[in-house]
Amino acid sequence: MNLDAAKQTFLEEARELLEDMERILLDVEATDTTDEQLNALFRAMHTIKGSAGLFGMDEIVHFTHEAENVVDLLRGGHLALGEDLSGLLLRCHDHVKAMLAVVDDKAMQQEMLKTSLLDELRHYAQPAAAAEAANTGHASVPEPGGLRDWVMSLRFNDDVLRNGMDPSAFFRYLRLLGEFLIVQPVLCRLPQAERFDPESCYLRFELLFSSDASQQMLLDVFEFVREDSQIHIFPVSEAAAHWPQLIAHADEAEQAAVRQAWHALGLSPDAPASVATAPEPAVAVAKPADKATDKADKPAASVAEAKAPRGSESRFIKVEAAKLDSLINLIGELVIAGAAANLMARRSAQSALVESTIAIANLIEQIRAGTLSMRMVQIGDIFSRFPRVVRDVSKELGKSIQLNVSGADTELDKSMVDKLGDPLMHIVRNAMDHGIESSEARLAAGKPAEGNVWLNAYHESGSVVIEVADDGAGLRKEKILAKAVANGLVAADSVVPDGDIYKLIFEPGFSTAEQVTNISGRGVGMDVVRRSIEQLRGTIDIDSAPGEGTTFRIRLPLTLAIIDGFLVSVGNATFVIPLETVIECIELPPDALQGDAHNCLNLRGEVLPLLGLNRFLELGQPHAKRQNVVVVRYGDSKAGLVVDELLGEFQTVIKPLGNLFRHLRAMSGSTILGSGEVALILDVPSLIHFATSQEAERFASHAEHAQQRGGHGNH
Amino acid sequence: MGALTIRRGRDAAQVEEVHEDVLQYLTFQLSGETYAIGILSIKEILEYTTLTQVPLMPAFIRGVMNLRGAVVPVIDLAVRFGRNETGVSRRTCVVIIEVANEEMQQYIGILVDAVHEVLAIRAVDIEPPPQFGSRIRVDFISGMARVDNRFVVLLDVEKVLSVEEMATLSAMNGSEMADLREAEV
Repeated sequence: MNLDAAKQTFLEEARELLEDMERILLDVEATDTTDEQLNALFRAMHTIKGSAGLFGMDEIVHFTHEAENVVDLLRGGHLALGEDLSGLLLRCHDHVKAMLAVVDDKAMQQEMLKTSLLDELRHYAQPAAAAEAANTGHASVPEPGGLRDWVMSLRFNDDVLRNGMDPSAFFRYLRLLGEFLIVQPVLCRLPQAERFDPESCYLRFELLFSSDASQQMLLDVFEFVREDSQIHIFPVSEAAAHWPQLIAHADEAEQAAVRQAWHALGLSPDAPASVATAPEPAVAVAKPADKATDKADKPAASVAEAKAPRGSESRFIKVEAAKLDSLINLIGELVIAGAAANLMARRSAQSALVESTIAIANLIEQIRAGTLSMRMVQIGDIFSRFPRVVRDVSKELGKSIQLNVSGADTELDKSMVDKLGDPLMHIVRNAMDHGIESSEARLAAGKPAEGNVWLNAYHESGSVVIEVADDGAGLRKEKILAKAVANGLVAADSVVPDGDIYKLIFEPGFSTAEQVTNISGRGVGMDVVRRSIEQLRGTIDIDSAPGEGTTFRIRLPLTLAIIDGFLVSVGNATFVIPLETVIECIELPPDALQGDAHNCLNLRGEVLPLLGLNRFLELGQPHAKRQNVVVVRYGDSKAGLVVDELLGEFQTVIKPLGNLFRHLRAMSGSTILGSGEVALILDVPSLIHFATSQEAERFASHAEHAQQRGGHGNH
Repeated sequence: MGALTIRRGRDAAQVEEVHEDVLQYLTFQLSGETYAIGILSIKEILEYTTLTQVPLMPAFIRGVMNLRGAVVPVIDLAVRFGRNETGVSRRTCVVIIEVANEEMQQYIGILVDAVHEVLAIRAVDIEPPPQFGSRIRVDFISGMARVDNRFVVLLDVEKVLSVEEMATLSAMNGSEMADLREAEV
């Protein structure tokens, strides 16, 4: 058994539990508490405590124990979950998280244990505990009633060691809850030396234990082995009554041995003790029956069945991401090979062959869709972080802000979800800091004092749209424009459409905030946001109305692995344009493109800037006689790419171009065509961006000259 | 028969022991000169097929090719060494080389005029690179091997195909081109 792997599982589980805990605490702040929520809170702390105990992380056990006490009181109704307490528990949550992060650093953990949180927790626990003590008079059986003696019958399954559980760990942990009075091992199952399997656990124990913990708490200690071991815990007074249940699944030899152990504990089972002799031969008899009894053990309903089995767990299979990735790669190959086969079939002009390749292609398409859906996760995974952030930041800013989340079940590629967290966080923080005004300003503007931030996600024509909206003051166009002119981003007298003005806030070092807070306003970040969205082949747009609010709209492709492309040829080269960016194709009027790579076309009254790929990409091949224009969309704008031939739609698997080409803008990757040739995928937004920046540089140098001249004039 | 095989096996082992400082090199022709690369870094040798040109890249990056589903860049070594572009003939080959790059294996193809043979060269026959007088950058040379009384240049693959350096070069190339275009305007 690899302990590291088990530890990893523990950390993973703890992380999930903590996430649950956080979510519940934040929910609780908004609504009234339910028993289920409180139980879940308790379970989170308790399970972490239990598992940490198994790994000997005493500091975490110690801390979570205190937190658990408080949650237990909450659960019992002795405490009410007010804002202070949930705040405290949130901080405890953070603390446990921090402790788990330094799980290998004992000294650090010791240090972290010296926190004032413990005192605060005790402060809650003590008065309530006193009140509880008063209550114990009419408490029912499972309620803790001060110090009590318990009989424990611990009959571990043979496999506990193989499952990574060490019985001694349970004992170590039990010691934290109370005191061992007498421990009697039951050794009747111990085989002779030659049959002894060092990986099996033959040990069984009967013991007397003194503790003030409840029966449930004691049973919970054994939560991890309860399923296949027989764990019985009774108050001493009730021990005799439970004797038949205890020995129900034991064979004779074991019964005898247990009986003897009970005598040693000073207990007497109700059945006469006359049989309880001759334990020595019993050992020999016990062996052949071992396997059979074990089998019978498992379905045995023990008293310990307190919680319903976790049903949801069996519905999911955890798969290593790498395995899934390699499967998706293979399917990518299959798509390519399928396309090649299809091409051959069509060339051979045998209709039966063509039909069967089409049938295969359909199946491949289904497999592809199925596999890709395995990578899809709900965007709620990242949305769930935000309630906490909004709560904390709004407190910090002294604003009252409500977060509204919708569309959390929208699915998105896992790898994208991972990369989306930071940019979204940035936008949300910005919206809260700059977007939403202070309560006074809001009231003065005739708006409710509480601000709103909306997070919304939905699917739209093959892509995912994520919206972050606020009902704050909106972006101030004049101010942005003035700043842009001051920074030299825009010429002073130029006319810029609204959408482009808003986009200026994505320029590096751009911030119109007068006040730099520690949340945002330094102007670092929005350019990073745009860059990370563009890396995901996405676009970001801004809508804003003065006084009504701002909406950031992020549009992302569903997946990064496969795209639908539109194949075009330019000279001898073939390029793929992502289909989602293509709006239409038209023939190029013969006189439209002259000389320069940049030009414009009149598209039904609209101005369409043209980019001649042949010239721009320096392919150096002569123009074909007839050229075509592919009208593409990037963000809210359109552009026309001048190409030679249109070759139609093509489903492509994206192959990264590798490190060598990392500086290459304008290409987002490559793909392999059915013929085996490599075609490059055009990255439309960065291609246009590249072209625009070149033009801007060109104009900027003119503007610079002009400015320099102006500057001299002033002096 | 069995005994014979065993004996032969032992012989081979002895031979290896005696010549343990012998390494094998692939020699090839490049713009009229013979170069060699250690065979351990060579993955395979392919006939030249049409490459896909990657626009906006420096001339020494000839393009990319499809290596059983993987997209592999192909370098024109002659251009990298400051010569003219390698022409394509019947004997033109692409040698696929495995390059370690930040703990990641990457395949890079090099375009050569013709592939000759695999030579076993003893370490004692390898001279350090001359400080000057060689016709390519000194740091590209890992040694000069004496073969039949003439010298064969052993290439330092890590340096010649340094992804880091080539990527930087191509980035510079891009901005230079932008500058040039600006100047045109």
